[in-house]
Amino acid sequence: MKTINYVLSGLGGQGILFMTKVFAATALEKGYNVLGAETHGMAQRGGSVVSHLRVGDARSSLVRAGAADFLISMDESEAYRYLPYLKKGGTLFANAPSKSFPDKRVAAYLKQNNIKAFSMEASKKAMDLGSPKSTNLAMVAFYSAFGVGPLNADDLRSTVEKMSPAKVRETNLKIFDACYDTGKKIASAS
Amino acid sequence: MLGNGAMAIGLLEAGCQIMTSYPGTPSSEILPEVVRFSKMGKLNTSIEWSINEKVAFDNAFAGAISGKRAACCMKMVGLNVAADSFMSAAYIGNIGGLVIISCDDPGPHSSQTEQDSRLMARLAKVPVLDPGSPEEAREMIKFAFELSEEFQVPVLVRPAIRVCHARQNIKYKTLKNNPTKADFKKEPTRWASTPKFRFLQHKALNEKHVKISEKFNTLKAFNRHTLKKGKTYPFGVITGGVPSSVVKDLFEEYNRKDIPMLKLGAPYPFPEKLADAFLTACDKVLVIEETDTLIEYMLRDKYKTLGRFSGHVPMEGELVPEKIETVLNKALADCKQSPLSDFDGGREAFGLVGELGLPLRKPTLCPGCPHRASFYSIRKAMPKAVFPSDIGCYTLGSNLGVVDTVLDMGAGITMASGFYNAYIQDGVQKPIVATLGDSTFFHSGITGLINAVYNDSRFILVILDNGITAMTGMQPAITQGLRVDGRKGNSVSLEGVVQGCGVKYLKVVDPFDTKTMIKTIKKAADYVNDPEGGIAVIISRHPCVIGFKDAAIPEKISVRVSDECNDCGFCRDRFECPALCRNPETEKTEIDTVLCAECGVCLQVCPRKAIEEI
Repeated sequence: MKTINYVLSGLGGQGILFMTKVFAATALEKGYNVLGAETHGMAQRGGSVVSHLRVGDARSSLVRAGAADFLISMDESEAYRYLPYLKKGGTLFANAPSKSFPDKRVAAYLKQNNIKAFSMEASKKAMDLGSPKSTNLAMVAFYSAFGVGPLNADDLRSTVEKMSPAKVRETNLKIFDACYDTGKKIASAS
Repeated sequence: MLGNGAMAIGLLEAGCQIMTSYPGTPSSEILPEVVRFSKMGKLNTSIEWSINEKVAFDNAFAGAISGKRAACCMKMVGLNVAADSFMSAAYIGNIGGLVIISCDDPGPHSSQTEQDSRLMARLAKVPVLDPGSPEEAREMIKFAFELSEEFQVPVLVRPAIRVCHARQNIKYKTLKNNPTKADFKKEPTRWASTPKFRFLQHKALNEKHVKISEKFNTLKAFNRHTLKKGKTYPFGVITGGVPSSVVKDLFEEYNRKDIPMLKLGAPYPFPEKLADAFLTACDKVLVIEETDTLIEYMLRDKYKTLGRFSGHVPMEGELVPEKIETVLNKALADCKQSPLSDFDGGREAFGLVGELGLPLRKPTLCPGCPHRASFYSIRKAMPKAVFPSDIGCYTLGSNLGVVDTVLDMGAGITMASGFYNAYIQDGVQKPIVATLGDSTFFHSGITGLINAVYNDSRFILVILDNGITAMTGMQPAITQGLRVDGRKGNSVSLEGVVQGCGVKYLKVVDPFDTKTMIKTIKKAADYVNDPEGGIAVIISRHPCVIGFKDAAIPEKISVRVSDECNDCGFCRDRFECPALCRNPETEKTEIDTVLCAECGVCLQVCPRKAIEEI
């Protein structure tokens, strides 16, 4: 299989490492090899956090700029910051209000490079559904609704179910399902 | 699993019986992973967090000369701390395998330098292995033990951050106990050798080198090229470590079978014959290695070799894939070969990102962090002081203007006495408030404090005791008496050690009570300035908000900002909590309730009392 490259970005404390683990565990479950690169230590305290994940038989853990199939970001600014990683024809998923997203200055670049961009207010959704810390899972669910890439919604959902601590499992799945539905509506409208 | 987990597996598969470490990014997860897999395999591995890297090294060394397989791991600057032992051990040698894992941080992402541990191996005359992936690191560790035992020499394994913090699926077999028993055989001329014998040991080490270099010439598992017999090439690449994986991916993606590659996973002692054969077959050779120039130096051919000295490879920074692609394109073009691609390093996209004026995100202390409260009080009490600080979370006190210097572990104290001496020579008693954490104090602070007491330096030292080693991932603190594998150790009293260093003035405060802390610091300053006084130590004790969530904030205090806020910015500037943000529309400070840890300390901060409890 051709290697599929994910770049996940956000802010320190948003749970990027857990999000990466959800994707990686799902890929492994499907029998793919995975290779990823994470941020730890000083670089993890607040600030801009990025995680790379390569599904397939790659040897190096970092995704090259201009080679990511998918960029999934938990913050609008952090989505733009890692834009150079997306390849031509790649897809961007961002936690941002759909009215103002994407930024006008970015839109021309996206069009020129045939990059599709979708957004949902993931942190607002997660907060409304009772777990502001689950923005990461909201974005996983949102992505999964588009049915792109080697990881499908059912598999990602069951990984979330398995990996969530018992006391937040129900809330996490509720958030997952709601955000999947939102994604599904946007996907079918586009 | 993480690369650090893969290495833990490699260590246990090799039958490593003794494992020591001091945490430091990117090495920190290796030891806890050894604990996890050792427990899963019901092994009796002896595992410890040592107080610093030199202590870790010496413990492992004694195990190895008792005939057991031993390893110690650390970040690359930790190897500086252990350097004295490392250099000496190379001469003396070992019986059971001794493997040192020194994790490099090109970037740097979480370190004070970008130093290349392979050059430390060169300095110590110790063989070094340079893995390109977690899986290879695991294989190399097993080989490292064999090599170490065959030649009775310590072996260094140098994984870079992209090996340590890479995540890869790893399959492994059942782990077994190594039955070797400790059997130290006395031989004073070797284990306690005098300079005369050291000369002979040096000679023996040099002889080992020739033999190991021979072995590395034919070590196909890690050192191999893609030359076809009898063929010559206009351009070739010599690489190793993480960049070798990137180069392989790139050649495969762009289908460039025409460019030969020599991968040196075991670059030192340098495999001369293998490198010569490659150099002879190519007109020009580009060296892509991280982070410094070990291979490029050893090639010793400045006419054929392209790399850092020819200006093709950047002298600093991590060799990320897009950088390597750009380097290869440029070098190929300079040698009149067709480049891999027309990729320009993503100039347009990075240019666009630059123009967007995205918020600068610097690392900050967590919301609810007790260090923030300490720093706030220190600045309030001693606004004009010099603030030497140290390595740890509290380095981020620079955001609050209370960290003036960060040199290395323990330098918060030693630089405080240095500043005192520099000023007192001119008759000026400069106010100085040094800060460092509890783990750093035990690691390298104690000797500096004894030195300062002995030489009558005067300053305030605030030890930020949060009961844990937080920055590197919540390793247990010595004061808590818990060991890495969950067994009970003997807790060591911070107060007892401080007093044992000869300090006569010691106070303990809770930084969440800023009023008391400010008062305590001012009183300590009086003692420091008193001719009969001395060094004043304040232990600022409050549990880490991440490590001990419930103990850190036993009662949650929800806060809001009232209309009294006049947007003076004092709280955001001087308290610098990420949960305090400015709303440009209302022109007032607001509380970000998602980030807020509800510690309530900010209630004590606002000069207009505009922050109030709900």
